[in-house]
Amino acid sequence: MPIVKVDGIEVTVENGTNMIQAAAAVGVDIPHFCYHEDLSIAGNCRMCLVDVEAGGRGPDIACNMQARDGLEIRTDSENVKNMRESVMEFLLKNHPLDCPVCDQSGECTLQDHYTSHGNNGSRLLDTKNHAPKRQPLSDKIVLDAERCIACSRCVRFGDEITKTGDLRLFERTDHTEIGLFPGEALDHGYQGNLIDICPVGALTSREFRFQKRVWYLRETPSVCIGCATGCNIIVEHESGEVFRFKPRRNPDVNSSWMCDEGRETWNDSNDFTRILMAKVDGKRSDFAAAATAAAELLSGKKVAIVLGTKGSNEGNRALALLGANLEGSKLFVMEGNDPSDTVSSDNMLKVEDKNPNRRGATFVAELSGGASTGVELKRALDAGEFEAMIVLQDDAVGRMGGATAPTVVFIGTHANQTSAAAQVIIPASAHIEFNGTFINNNGMVQRFRRALHPVGDSLPDYSAVDKVANALCGSVVGSDGAEIFAGIAEASPALKGASWASLGGAGQQIGSTQQAGAAAPSK
Amino acid sequence: MSSHQPSHREVQSKGHGEIAFSAEQEAEIVTIIAKYPTMRSAVMPLLWIAQRQWGWISHDVCRVVARRLELPPSHVLTVATFYTMFKKTPTGEYLLQVCHTLSCALAGADDLIAHIEDKLGIKAGETTPDGKFSLMRVECLASCGSGPMMQVNDDFYECLDDSRVDGILTAITDGVSLPTPRPEVDQWTHTPVS
Amino acid sequence: MDSYPRILTKNWETPNSHTLAEAKKAGQYSVLEKCLKMDRQAIKQEVLDSGLRGRGGAGFPAGRKWMFVPDVEKRQGKPVYLICNADESEPGTFKDRYCMWHDPHMLIEGMIIAAYALECKTAYIYLRGEFKYIQDRVDEAIEEAKAAGLLGKNILGTGFDFELYTHQGAGAYICGEETALISSIEGERGQPRLKPPFPAVEGAWGCPTVVNNVETLAVVPWVMAHGAKAYAAIGTEKAAGTKLFSVSGHVMKPGVYEVPMGVPMTTLINDICGGLKPGRTLKAVIPGGSSVPVMTPEEVGKATMDYESIQEVSGSYLGSGGVIVMDDTTDMVSALSNLLRFYAHESCGQCTPCREGVGWMSQILIRLDKGGATEEDIETLLDLANNIHSKTICFFGASAAMPVQSFLQKFKPEFLAKIEAAKANIVPEVVSTTNSEATGSSAGAK
Repeated sequence: MPIVKVDGIEVTVENGTNMIQAAAAVGVDIPHFCYHEDLSIAGNCRMCLVDVEAGGRGPDIACNMQARDGLEIRTDSENVKNMRESVMEFLLKNHPLDCPVCDQSGECTLQDHYTSHGNNGSRLLDTKNHAPKRQPLSDKIVLDAERCIACSRCVRFGDEITKTGDLRLFERTDHTEIGLFPGEALDHGYQGNLIDICPVGALTSREFRFQKRVWYLRETPSVCIGCATGCNIIVEHESGEVFRFKPRRNPDVNSSWMCDEGRETWNDSNDFTRILMAKVDGKRSDFAAAATAAAELLSGKKVAIVLGTKGSNEGNRALALLGANLEGSKLFVMEGNDPSDTVSSDNMLKVEDKNPNRRGATFVAELSGGASTGVELKRALDAGEFEAMIVLQDDAVGRMGGATAPTVVFIGTHANQTSAAAQVIIPASAHIEFNGTFINNNGMVQRFRRALHPVGDSLPDYSAVDKVANALCGSVVGSDGAEIFAGIAEASPALKGASWASLGGAGQQIGSTQQAGAAAPSK
Repeated sequence: MSSHQPSHREVQSKGHGEIAFSAEQEAEIVTIIAKYPTMRSAVMPLLWIAQRQWGWISHDVCRVVARRLELPPSHVLTVATFYTMFKKTPTGEYLLQVCHTLSCALAGADDLIAHIEDKLGIKAGETTPDGKFSLMRVECLASCGSGPMMQVNDDFYECLDDSRVDGILTAITDGVSLPTPRPEVDQWTHTPVS
Repeated sequence: MDSYPRILTKNWETPNSHTLAEAKKAGQYSVLEKCLKMDRQAIKQEVLDSGLRGRGGAGFPAGRKWMFVPDVEKRQGKPVYLICNADESEPGTFKDRYCMWHDPHMLIEGMIIAAYALECKTAYIYLRGEFKYIQDRVDEAIEEAKAAGLLGKNILGTGFDFELYTHQGAGAYICGEETALISSIEGERGQPRLKPPFPAVEGAWGCPTVVNNVETLAVVPWVMAHGAKAYAAIGTEKAAGTKLFSVSGHVMKPGVYEVPMGVPMTTLINDICGGLKPGRTLKAVIPGGSSVPVMTPEEVGKATMDYESIQEVSGSYLGSGGVIVMDDTTDMVSALSNLLRFYAHESCGQCTPCREGVGWMSQILIRLDKGGATEEDIETLLDLANNIHSKTICFFGASAAMPVQSFLQKFKPEFLAKIEAAKANIVPEVVSTTNSEATGSSAGAK
């Protein structure tokens, strides 16, 4: 492990660490445009030029400088300041003064670095080059060629991540432009990432464009529920409204990427099928009355307890514990997807299993003696072995092709065949409306956090279950999600001592058993 | 190295229509590909074959080359637009490329270009209405000791003056054989003869 | 300087010197068999000891470059590639095309020996696109050599297999830079690559690669035939051998001349090249291709034609040996504007300072040349040049910056005079690089 010095501060880093990363490790920010942790090194923007004080010759670019013993760089010298100023001046030479009408404003690396590292004013007396604006690259992305700084991040993304080789730099000199082969459009499922990695306003989202100035947006870390991969995301929202999802870097899960399908789920919690209030026998009901009604319906019956492959660990734990109070009940975890799920997969991040917490439902069930399958449930229902079922989140009825029990209680976010068959429907909060955890297909226990207020009468799934439990047998888990998770952790050797806090942003691995889809290559 | 840089946007999409390499060209392509460890390396040689065949590099040409080399067409286009000798628009039958970089400029290249412009009635960067000549100012062609010079299609004509240029242009117009190119090769250490 | 062996040019006056028959008569391929039986390390050592330095411009010892190639056990089964850089695109340089035109077999023999020493089985000659007619001749020579068993399988019965191919460029100055050349031969845009890794370790197709200039490789047979000592005895202590100088501009006899390193620059210009036109006086010389700093007549008077002297005397470089001579009729502002137009046209567009800065410098210079500039523009220009120099991926940035820096340093009064003259009666015009041919500057005497 090499020991290097950044601005006189000594730091020991892993082999293969570059000096931007080494500097970050001691809190020194080296500005850059073309460098991206999950792409190859291009070294073309020259913004990360630093002085080399020992162990090499300088000035040189920090991104292409591998940490090695004795290497000492300086980032706070007058020379480095001048180099940054000059690179900013060059980058802005042919960059239009578009900021007031540019959608990237507020999250533009060029703006940010100009503020921190640029000099003031302009000494440009000659003309700027122009290039076409508003060129659609697909139904998702629009290109403004004259804002491009030719950092080649998007080109490298196409070559290295999606391996589509679609975007290219054309021409040369200061007329270099990115683009597609004329007449073609981007057609891979990871286009949103191009918008994310573009450091300037060259590639912007046709959907998000002009919807919101980004500085109004608040960011909440979360997890994508589009499939079982559980890509880490940031929910960007304002005044109770979500505006977009963006990937959050997690080298062990999704690198810096997420698929477009997952990204497009940003407004799903606002879908017209969303269950906003409780219903009993098809009539609107208040929450407490519905919980009571559910308790009455389930009481004394043989109940099939269907844990949610789309529900949180905490909700599933609550339901499993509720089941323990119902004589003759049995736990089930459904296989397959809901009929309403669009099933698709690829060899990158997207897997066929569209349930963000199948692994979690199974894991929680195991703490209560394990669960049976959906096939078994269908057989048992057909045989009349259960008088009732309570379903958390899953469209169990839909998955069984319509098989159902005489009595059904459904706790969930969206209407489906199960809610249609249910006598009692209890509204659950969407995952962006409460705090909880999922376990992805690779065994990574991950937190999602509350970004918005729960809509309608909905409650976090564990609270909703607990309300029913209260009416039936008394509280089983309480209403504190963190405590429920602590309970899960206590019951499981794999999560011994874990808590919401200890999961942090990166999550905790409970062992890798089913690598359903390879994560994007990470550096 | 042409100093006229048509943007890739100007590359005409309607160029050659459905085209394909001939059996003879295919045989040549097989030999070319065998020279390199990767097929991608053959992209420039194939663009040369295509340009010889179809005159210039249209989108259709990029597609044909891309298909043959199993590359995205965008890659062929990025290569084609990087190198100035790949023509992105059709040119006249005779492409006159006059060097105007320093040594040739010191030797009077600008006057020579003005003379050719007068003679042909076109400006540099243009083609005569009959499609016979295109005139271009280009950067250094490594004939600095024998300037001013121009490249006529593949051939170098060096140590030019107005009358030598007139002779070349007249020969082309009259359809008679051109003067022997590269007279300089016999006098590598002497004053260039005119 | 009176008597020195002519190494590279010795056959150039022979009719049909490019044919194998004539080449063999002139002694070509006579040392090949001996070399192919030698210890590989001994050949590299011989070339290192000869003091042969790369003739492409950088002047890096050729033998040392060869020795950078990792040993076979460290190569993980990767082949080694040798590429001859025949891109010859530095303005003022036109020697390699004569080498290949007159004596392609000298180059081929040099490449076979180099390939053998480097354990290379496949090599390429990368010619600039405009050299199609030369490429045809080199291809013929390769075919002849192949037919004679000098290339291909089991060369001269020694068991050494070696294939040599030519590769045609297509118009890009930057492809003379070795990593850009490698990108180009791989079928990419000719963009230089970051170092490290260096080509000797990870070059073409990810394999160890040596890129040598035509002249460098063509000298190798002579070195092997006559020995390192004989070569080192020519020229100066640090700059061994003869060198081909391409002389252009305002001299009576421009052309390519082979002279020993260390010849006084004035001898080259005044005696060998016949001096200036009558009545003219020397104003400036660019000694090593357009990229190196310009020299004043005083500096020219003191310099000899070798790497060290030129640098010591003027801060300039011997470079590729492309000598551009300018007499007193030269408008230095126009001359610099002309050069920067060239660089603005040839920047590969990859890294920021060069992509944006060189075009900008060219715009300012066109304004300076045409009228419409102020003293502040000179400051800006110099500042931009300093900000480009050594901040870029490859040497192109410095190549564009050094002419600006040196012209402004050594001929500033001319720039100021032009500004003054323009102030009197010219309204500033705005110039765009997009239509540079329309506003292209003219340099030199009318």
